[in-house]
Amino acid sequence: MKHIALVTLIAATAIALPLFIGENPYIIGILISVLMMAALSSAWNILGGYAGQYSFGHAAYFGAGAYTTLIMLTLFNTLNPVICILVGIVVASLIALMTGSIVFRLRGHYFGLASIAVAEIVRLSVLNFECTGGAQGILLTDISLWGLDLNSKNPFYYGMLLVLAVTLAITAYLRRSKTGYYLQAIREDQDAAASLGINLSFYKNKALLISAALTSVLGSLYGLYIRFIDTSAVLDLRLSIEIILTAIIGGVGTLWGPVVGAILLVPLAEILRSNLLGEALVKAGLVSETSGIGIFLKENLAHAHVLVYGIITVLCILYLPKGILGLYRRKQ
Amino acid sequence: MSFLQPLLSGILTGGVYALAGIGMSLVFGVMNISNFAHGDLMMLGMYMAYFAFTLLHIDPYLSLVLIIPTAFFFGFMLEKLFINRVIHHPHQNQILLTIGLGLIMSNTALLAFTSDPKILTTTYSSSAFNLPGDISISLPLLLSFLITCVIISILYLFLAKTSTGMALRATSQNREAAQLMGINVAKMSAIAFGIGTALAATAGALIAPTYYIHPLAGHSFLLKAFTICVLGGLGSVVGAGVGGIIIGVVEAMSSTYLSTDWKDVIVFVLFLAVLLLRLEGLFGKKGGR
Amino acid sequence: MIQHLLHISHVSKHFGGNVAVSDVSFSVNEKQIFGLIGPNGAGKTTLFNCITGFFPATAGDVIFDNKKINALRPDQVCKLGMVRTWQRVKPLENLTVLENVMVGAFSITNSTGEAEANAMEQLQKVGLTDYVKKSAGSLPIGLKKKLELARVLATHPKMLLLDEICGGLNHTETDLLLDIIRGIRMKGATIVFIEHDMKAVTSICDRIVVLNSGEKLAEGTPEEITSNPDVIAAYLGGGHHA
Repeated sequence: MKHIALVTLIAATAIALPLFIGENPYIIGILISVLMMAALSSAWNILGGYAGQYSFGHAAYFGAGAYTTLIMLTLFNTLNPVICILVGIVVASLIALMTGSIVFRLRGHYFGLASIAVAEIVRLSVLNFECTGGAQGILLTDISLWGLDLNSKNPFYYGMLLVLAVTLAITAYLRRSKTGYYLQAIREDQDAAASLGINLSFYKNKALLISAALTSVLGSLYGLYIRFIDTSAVLDLRLSIEIILTAIIGGVGTLWGPVVGAILLVPLAEILRSNLLGEALVKAGLVSETSGIGIFLKENLAHAHVLVYGIITVLCILYLPKGILGLYRRKQ
Repeated sequence: MSFLQPLLSGILTGGVYALAGIGMSLVFGVMNISNFAHGDLMMLGMYMAYFAFTLLHIDPYLSLVLIIPTAFFFGFMLEKLFINRVIHHPHQNQILLTIGLGLIMSNTALLAFTSDPKILTTTYSSSAFNLPGDISISLPLLLSFLITCVIISILYLFLAKTSTGMALRATSQNREAAQLMGINVAKMSAIAFGIGTALAATAGALIAPTYYIHPLAGHSFLLKAFTICVLGGLGSVVGAGVGGIIIGVVEAMSSTYLSTDWKDVIVFVLFLAVLLLRLEGLFGKKGGR
Repeated sequence: MIQHLLHISHVSKHFGGNVAVSDVSFSVNEKQIFGLIGPNGAGKTTLFNCITGFFPATAGDVIFDNKKINALRPDQVCKLGMVRTWQRVKPLENLTVLENVMVGAFSITNSTGEAEANAMEQLQKVGLTDYVKKSAGSLPIGLKKKLELARVLATHPKMLLLDEICGGLNHTETDLLLDIIRGIRMKGATIVFIEHDMKAVTSICDRIVVLNSGEKLAEGTPEEITSNPDVIAAYLGGGHHA
C-alpha cells in the first residue's frame, strides 16, 4: 500500500509539474528530455535488463519512429500524426524482427557486436537514401493534431509522460507474469531456461518487439517535438550508449532504475552542455569571465558532458555495477 | 579502369586494417574481452605521430620508435588500472567499461586538441609512382604496408619463439590451464593489452599521413577492426591479418564498382554474414556460445 | 506388454574428429529408475545432451513416448514431458528460490498464482520451504541440488534425467535425496540417473547401463552389473581411459 501511495504521489507531481513551472520553455525542455530518456531507457530495460540481452543498437528503433513520422508528414502534411506513430511502430517492428532473427542466434560478445552492426547498417542506409534527406536530415515546418497547440511544449511533456507511464506499467506487469519470469530466466542462464521449456528465441523476440515498439513511439514524439532530425541526432551509436548508460546508473533490471538514471544524468548533461556551471562559477566570483580558465570553460565545457559520461560509466562499472537501485536492493 | 588498381590499393590499405585487427584479436584471445576503446587508441596514435612531426620534426614512420613503447606502456597501465578489474565480469560490463574509457580518451582529445581536423603533410604525402597498365600506387600507402609487414613478422616471431610469446599463446588457448602451469595470466593480460594498444597506435600513426586527424577519427575504425576480427575468427592473429586484407579489398572494390557511399554498409553486411554462416571465422577457435 | 518410454537407438555423437558417444542403444521402461554409469569422460552427460536436444546426435534415433525427438529443441523436449538437471548446477542466481521453481512451473500454466502454488508444493517435497525468499545464488551446494530437483518436478515431467544429482553431497543428504527420488517414482514418473557413486546407483536403480569411452559396456540389474568383470575392470582401470 505504501508503494501505491508513493507511485500516486510521483504521478501527481509529474502531472502537475508544468503548472508550477508555467511557460518556462527551457525548464520544460529539460523535463521533456528527462522523461524521454527515462522512457527510452525503461524500454531498453525490458530487453537488456530483464532478458539480459544488451542491445547496443536501440537508436535504430528510435530513428525508425522519427524518420517514418517525419517522412510521412513531409509527404502528406494533413495526415494525423497518430497514424504516423502507428506506421513507425510497424517499421520499427520489422527492423526488430530482422535484427532478432540475426542477433538472437548469437551469444556473448557476438550479440552486442551484431546489434551494433545492424544499427549501423540502418544509419548508413538512411544517410545514403534520398527520401530520408541524407546527411541534411528532415525539417518539418508545420503540424497539427486535434487543434492542440503544438508550438507549446506542454503537449509533448504529457506525451512523453504518457509513454513513460505505459512503459513502466508494461514492465511492472511483465515482471510478475510468465513472460517476465521467462525473460529473467533467460538472463540468468540460457541453457537452464531452455531445459525448463522456455523457447529462447520466441521470448527474446517478444521482449525485443515490445522494447522496439515503445522506442519507436518515443522517436516519433521526438521528431514531432523537435521537427528536425538527422542521422546524428536519432540514429547515432552514441544515443544507444546513452540509453544503456542511463539504465546502468539507475540500476539495470529494476523497474525504477532507468527513471532514476535519467533524473540524474540528463540534467547533469544539460548543465555541462549549456555552460551553466561556468556561468555559476563566474557569478559566484570564483572565476573571472576574462581569465584563462573562464574562457576555457566557456569554450569547451559544452563538449565536456560526453567526457563526464565516460568518467561516470567507468566509475559506475567499477564501483556500482548494479546501479543506484541495486545498491539499495542489496541492503534489503 | 583496371581491375588491378582497386585490388592493389585494397591490399595496401588492408595491411593497415590488419594491424588494427590483430591488436584487437590478440586482446580478445588472451583476455576474452572485446575492446571498444580500440579505435580511440588508434586516434591517440594518429595524434602522437602528428605531434612528433609538428613539434619534434620527426618523420611519422620514424616516430614509431617512440610511439610503440609509449603506447605499450599506456596500454599496460590501462589494463592494470581498469580492465583487469572486470575480467571476470559479464561481457556487457567489459564492453561498457571500454566504451567509457574510449569516451574519456576521445573527449579529452576534443578538449585538448579541439575538433578541428589536423593534417599531417609530409613531402611525400601525395607522391605516387606508376606501374605499367595505368596503375598508380601511393607512396605513403606502400610504405605503411611494408612497415606493417615488418611489424607483423616481428610479432609473429615474438609469439612463436620467445617464452613470453608462448605464454601469451598458452593463455589464449586456455586461461585456466595456463594458470595451473604456472603462467602469470594477470601479467599476460597486461602484456597483451599493451601490445594491442601499441598495434592500434601504430596503425593510427601509419594512416596519419593520409587521413584527417581528429578526436573521433578512431570510431570508424573500431567497427572495421571488429569486422576484421570476426572475419578472421576472434582471437586468431593470422586470421585477423587475412581479414584485414579482405576488408581492404572489399572496400576498394565496392567503392570502385558500386559507390563509395555504400562501402561501409557492405562491410557490415559481410560482418553479419560471417557471424551467421561461420561463427568461428576463417581461422578462429570456436566461439559465439 | 511393457511400454518403452524412452528408446535410444544406435546413438552416436562426434565433435569434429572426437567420438564422444558411439553407437549406444538401450530402452527405459515406464516407472523405472534407470542408472547410467561409467568413469569420467565415458560420454554420459553428452548422451543426456543428445537426448534433451542441447546438441543433436550425429547418428541414431531418440524415441520418447513413441515420438522421434532427435531434431527437437530443448524446450520442445521439456514440453513433451522429459526434463533434465545439470551436473554443474544452474540456479537462476538472482531470482529467489521460489521464483526458480516457478519458472519450471510456468511450462504447464500461464497463471502466476498457479505457478506459485505448484512451486510451493515442490519446495515442500524437497524440504526447501524455509528458503523460498532467499536468492538461489546464495544457497549452499546441497540445497542448490535440491532446488534443481524441485524446479524440474514443477514441470510435472513423465521422465526426469538427473545428472549427478548426488554429486558433492554427504551421506545423509544423499539418502534424503534418494528417498525423494523413490517418492517421485511412486507418483508415476520415470527416472534416468547419471551417477558416479556406485553405492547410490545400486541401491536405487532397477536397471543399469554402463558406458565406457563412449561405448556401451554392459547392461543389466544392479547385481549383474556389480559382478560383471568388464565393469569392474573399467572402474578400477578408469583412470587410464579417462
